[in-house]
Amino acid sequence: MVEKIKIIVNEDKCYLCGGCAGVCPSLAIKVSSSKWEFFQDKCISCKICINACPVGALDFEPLEG
Amino acid sequence: MTEIMKYDVVVVGAGIAGPIVARNVAREGYSVLLVDKKPAIGAPKQCAEGINISIFERYDIPYDKRFINREIYGARIYSPSGYELEIKYKKVSGVILERKVFDKMLAFYAARSGADVLSRTEVEDVIRENGKIVGVKAKHEGEPVEIYGDIIVAADGVESTIARKAGINTYAPPHEFDSAYEYEMLIDGFDPDLIHLWFGNDVAPRGYVWVFPKDEDRANVGIGINSDNPKTAKYYLDKWLKENNIPSKKLLEINVGVVPVGGFLKELAKENVVVVGDAARQVNPMHGGGMAEAMKAGTIASKWIVKALEEENLELLKNYTTEWWEKDGKRLERVLKIRKAVEKLNDEDLDVFIEVLSGTDAEKIAEGNYTEVIKVLLKHPKVLMSARRISLLKELL
Ligand SMILES: Cc1cc2nc3c(=O)[nH]c(=O)nc-3n(C[C@H](O)[C@H](O)[C@H](O)COP(=O)(O)OP(=O)(O)OC[C@H]3O[C@@H](n4cnc5c(N)ncnc54)[C@H](O)[C@@H]3O)c2cc1C
Ligand code: SF4
Ligand code: SF4
Repeated sequence: MVEKIKIIVNEDKCYLCGGCAGVCPSLAIKVSSSKWEFFQDKCISCKICINACPVGALDFEPLEG
Repeated sequence: MTEIMKYDVVVVGAGIAGPIVARNVAREGYSVLLVDKKPAIGAPKQCAEGINISIFERYDIPYDKRFINREIYGARIYSPSGYELEIKYKKVSGVILERKVFDKMLAFYAARSGADVLSRTEVEDVIRENGKIVGVKAKHEGEPVEIYGDIIVAADGVESTIARKAGINTYAPPHEFDSAYEYEMLIDGFDPDLIHLWFGNDVAPRGYVWVFPKDEDRANVGIGINSDNPKTAKYYLDKWLKENNIPSKKLLEINVGVVPVGGFLKELAKENVVVVGDAARQVNPMHGGGMAEAMKAGTIASKWIVKALEEENLELLKNYTTEWWEKDGKRLERVLKIRKAVEKLNDEDLDVFIEVLSGTDAEKIAEGNYTEVIKVLLKHPKVLMSARRISLLKELL
């Protein structure tokens, strides 16, 4: 079983480039011109977004349960 | 209150692909709306701004000095141990753009041709009626708008949200993306008439470091690496600058982005939704250049959008998929195959190949005759001694 995770952004590092949203297979990230948003219900915990971010602005926290 | 608008064609995204489609369709007299979420179209840029000179004539774009920073005459390629291969043409071969001006001017040409253009307008979803997509929901300066359109064009770049909201599967595996990071900075010591590219598995895994000169002493200095790499693109670029003793305290801009370099979209049009540019993964997988590909795809897409509107037959949009795959899809699939072979080269291979080629007739390479280049490599003793290298090169033929 894949460990369930929550993706978190370091807003000070993020450039709102939209890359993480583009690689996310399930539309769990939305990047508008002023904010980064995460939708837990859509996330499949694949961590693709974390590696893809060119500046390392993303991290994860394990979800309980 | 939600404002309601109605157009023949709604184009989401005013990067490169969107404005080309909007301009071409508006020129034929159809009503077009081009929207972008950015308050200033083109800014921030996410690009090294290099493009081939041929696009101006081919896509009817003025050769306007306002968005051409510098003319380029070729390239110099550096191997991991420092072998150099220079390809220099007598004539201008490419230009380094100012994308902040270029993108905005492309949108301006679309507006001049009759399209409406709304910046700071973010599309959030599609509108469906009886299961059919009839428009998009957006926010213009924070206020809700509903924009109805007979045809919706998803030119929204790598995020490709709109195509996915419309039910088009734009999925590509993580290995088919590059993570890119770039400084626009002051830098000395590089021939500003050439672009400069460094290869090596420790320098830039799967990709390369680039210096694209903008002035005598200013350049876009960036890197692209495989996006499934556990280290960041920033890490590798900072490491390269440090190892090469390049001072990095004169940074004018930092640009960040992810580039789709494979996994081209199979279905480019579905019902009344058309996908173009990065959203359709239409990028050269070898070097990550996507502007010319976006223009090509945008040109084919707009031709079929106009035909579909003329004949009131949305089925004709499928011809965009067919034509793109016959012409450009096939070509890019071949390039992808080459990239996959090149990915297998180790640093020693890269050294040998660049060393051998630097001693040969650079004209052949300049002409872009890769088969000839591979034949030259295959004759060299350092290549012939290795069965691995021979088989890798044969994969490229
Ligand atoms: C660091 C870097 C360097 C590069 N260097 C080069 C290079 O030197 N040469 C080259 O040819 N290519 C280069 N590329 C690739 C090139 O930038 C892209 O391929 C090209 O811009 C694709 O054009 P496009 O129109 O498809 O998408 P984009 O130019 O990305 O445009 C998409 C537009 O859609 C807008 N948008 C997105 N979502 C929404 C929404 N929901 N609502 C409204 N608007 C939306 C965005 O704001 C954006 O303006 C580089 C890419 C990167 C990241
Ligand atoms: S890829 Fe990184 S920098 Fe870009 S939007 Fe996502 S978190 Fe921000
Ligand atoms: S972990 Fe996977 S599904 Fe979740 S946000 Fe990141 S890319 Fe999307």
